[in-house]
Amino acid sequence: MDRKKHRIMMVSDFFYPNFGGVENHIYYLSQCLLKLGHKVVVVTHAYENRSGVRYMTGGLKVYYVPWRPFVMQNSFPTLFPSLPIIRTILIRERITIVHGHQAFSTLCHEALMHSRTMGYRVVFTDHSLYGFSDAGSIHMNKVLQFTLADVSQAICVSHTSKENTVLRSGLPPEKVFVIPNAVDTAMFKPAVVQPSRSEIVIVVISRLVYRKGADLLVEVIPDVCRLHPNVRFIVGGDGPKRVRLEEMREKHSLQDRVEMLGAVPHAQVRSVLISGHIFLNSSLTEAFCIAILEAASCGLLTVSTRVGGVPEVLPDDMIILAEPDPGDMVLAIERAISMLPKVDPQVMHHRMRELYNWHDVAKRTEIVYDRALKCPNQNLLERLSRYLYCGVWAGKLFFLVMIVDFLFWRLLELWQPAEDIEEMPDLTLPHISNKETLQETE
Amino acid sequence: MFWRTLNERNPNRVALRLALHRRRLTQVLSAAAVPAPQHRRFFLFPVSRTQKLGRFSSALHLRWLLGTDPEAQPRKKPETSKLLVMDHHLASDSPQVRPRWRKVAYGGMQPGFDDNHTDESFLEGMVMNANVVRRDMLKVMLDSVSISEYLCIVALVVLVWTYTLESTIDESRLLCIDVSLLVLGFLILLFTQEKISLSILVHHYFLNISFFIMGLYVLAPIYQTLTRSISSDSIWALTVSLLVIHLFLHDYSESTVNAPGALKNPALTSCISVNASVVASVFIASRLPSRLHVFAIMLFSLQVFLFGPLVTYCIKKYSFRLHLCFSISLMVVTLRFVYMLHCLLFVLLLSLLVFVNVVCPYWLIRIQEYKFEINGPWDEAKLCFAITD
Repeated sequence: MDRKKHRIMMVSDFFYPNFGGVENHIYYLSQCLLKLGHKVVVVTHAYENRSGVRYMTGGLKVYYVPWRPFVMQNSFPTLFPSLPIIRTILIRERITIVHGHQAFSTLCHEALMHSRTMGYRVVFTDHSLYGFSDAGSIHMNKVLQFTLADVSQAICVSHTSKENTVLRSGLPPEKVFVIPNAVDTAMFKPAVVQPSRSEIVIVVISRLVYRKGADLLVEVIPDVCRLHPNVRFIVGGDGPKRVRLEEMREKHSLQDRVEMLGAVPHAQVRSVLISGHIFLNSSLTEAFCIAILEAASCGLLTVSTRVGGVPEVLPDDMIILAEPDPGDMVLAIERAISMLPKVDPQVMHHRMRELYNWHDVAKRTEIVYDRALKCPNQNLLERLSRYLYCGVWAGKLFFLVMIVDFLFWRLLELWQPAEDIEEMPDLTLPHISNKETLQETE
Repeated sequence: MFWRTLNERNPNRVALRLALHRRRLTQVLSAAAVPAPQHRRFFLFPVSRTQKLGRFSSALHLRWLLGTDPEAQPRKKPETSKLLVMDHHLASDSPQVRPRWRKVAYGGMQPGFDDNHTDESFLEGMVMNANVVRRDMLKVMLDSVSISEYLCIVALVVLVWTYTLESTIDESRLLCIDVSLLVLGFLILLFTQEKISLSILVHHYFLNISFFIMGLYVLAPIYQTLTRSISSDSIWALTVSLLVIHLFLHDYSESTVNAPGALKNPALTSCISVNASVVASVFIASRLPSRLHVFAIMLFSLQVFLFGPLVTYCIKKYSFRLHLCFSISLMVVTLRFVYMLHCLLFVLLLSLLVFVNVVCPYWLIRIQEYKFEINGPWDEAKLCFAITD
């Protein structure tokens, strides 16, 4: 069936040159959508010297809008001044769908707000889990309610994330699609020569912060080293809790059994992973853990805490779950060590290729885009009434914000008419016409 | 789980009713709250008074009011999937067995289900109001007595300061007050702490307090000349604001200065409040004429602010009745003295005590009905061990 080709604008504060879950998701999804024949443009803020328009692999156009990040990689939340530039990009690239990523990104919320004012269809993807009771979460959930009051469709990366998003924003569950992340199995291949199993190596690669369970590691590593003399640890990553891990090493004299690598650049993650047999993930909260997928793709057996969306990620024979309690985690590691002889990394890698595939994710996202375009476009008054339901005072405030946004947009239409904005012609790069051959060799 | 429209008065409104029959339910909340039509609100149904407190499972109804959603997918979707399954059971010659939906993320799209399929197990792990304490009006009023007791203590201290600054009380009477308070405090501690013996009392408390008093006496000249260059108005303004900060941040549940053998370290806000009260005492003391005055008033203020909470905490722990009698008599005495001082202040203090003891508990109970605490598998895990740095 010949599907209609969309012109998609991905917008988020988190993109290359930073590496992370959201950044990789946007990049890989954009590449696969390009291969399917759609046109994709990414909008993000400037990173140090990187400002302006860049092109990435496959003709992916990235607009590094010249705003500096303000706090934690987010741009400064200006409500209305971002309308002119977003409008210019939308008209210039003849966008049909706007896809925002990550609830924590202010640029995403603003772009979605302006796109709705201008009548574009909007899709939002949520990548994280949030709570309900602390001050930061309460504010974030209110902002999310505002954005999702008028969104066409929403995507979550796991079923637990869908429950969390539905509760936080009050969206009807039928509007939320569950499309998980995937892993680039071509990049994460197991080692050709397996490391010897006489000494079992457990790999940990994560940011060493409280959220990622670095304190659990401090309790678990000495116990495991004591119970199993043939086990060695490799800890990659950096963060505020690194000091505690170093202290633990000194206190139990584990310098030869625990190796601290520091921050591992993304390109070298595979080489660290293939030197181990077991991957340990101790995070306290995860919507969807891509690190586990990378480890499984490299043929490692995973031991993880049973939090958030982690139980949904891998089948039971590739992952061993434990409660976020040091005693339980030590038992889980013991089970993993006993299961290790039955594990074949190549078999695991081939299974991962069947289970997770970015092209499949892109096809499922395409279905969401088609569904979003079928949503009727309401007139201003009907749309505005949805914002009133966000709360007693907040509803009226959001209503006013959208009215001002609408008036500003009208002013811009008079001052800088859409006809004056030059539309970008489509550049066909040579390899895209060979996409049939590329898909065959995939 | 079923979805249906609720509010027929306004056909544009779509209401979601979530009926949860779950194993891990926590409280029964029976129906009554009627929603205001314009606002999206989560609300629970207040407990009927005859019901026992405690946790037991039953149906829990959560009503969400949403705005119009004409572009929502026709809600036939969950039912069509149910219909399909029912058809499978009914039709005897149907060869296709659609696999059950599983809550997994791997393997691509599940055959026969859309990505936005909402299964019956949706929100199965949600637990509502697991940690909420159901409060009784009488109990809250009795608990608020400790707040008003401390307010009266502070009012008495301010009274003594006022009388001393007006020279109504001279230094010898002040010293008598100090000594009697000290002795009274020791007696109460001895009486109420069972674990304490006379030897511990002498070693721990008595020696420390004597050092403390000697130090105060030696440093009294410094306090006397400390604020000589500052005008009196600034002093009164600063003292009032410091006392307000002290009352706001004070730890009303426990004592900042610990009895020997206490486990927890005091919180930051209680340390700030103690400091504020000490600084306020120093400011007042610096306005007094002679060294003995300064020493007496400093001793009095610091006794009350540092050791008063400890004494009242010991009384409260020993016997609640004693605590109640003590508080009420203290309130009566304070009100009488303040009435003798100034009528307006008396009215203010009385209204403050009524507000704290009657109005606030009622208000708390009223808005507690709307408490909605959600827990579930998406929560960040709590570490069960203390992080020792």
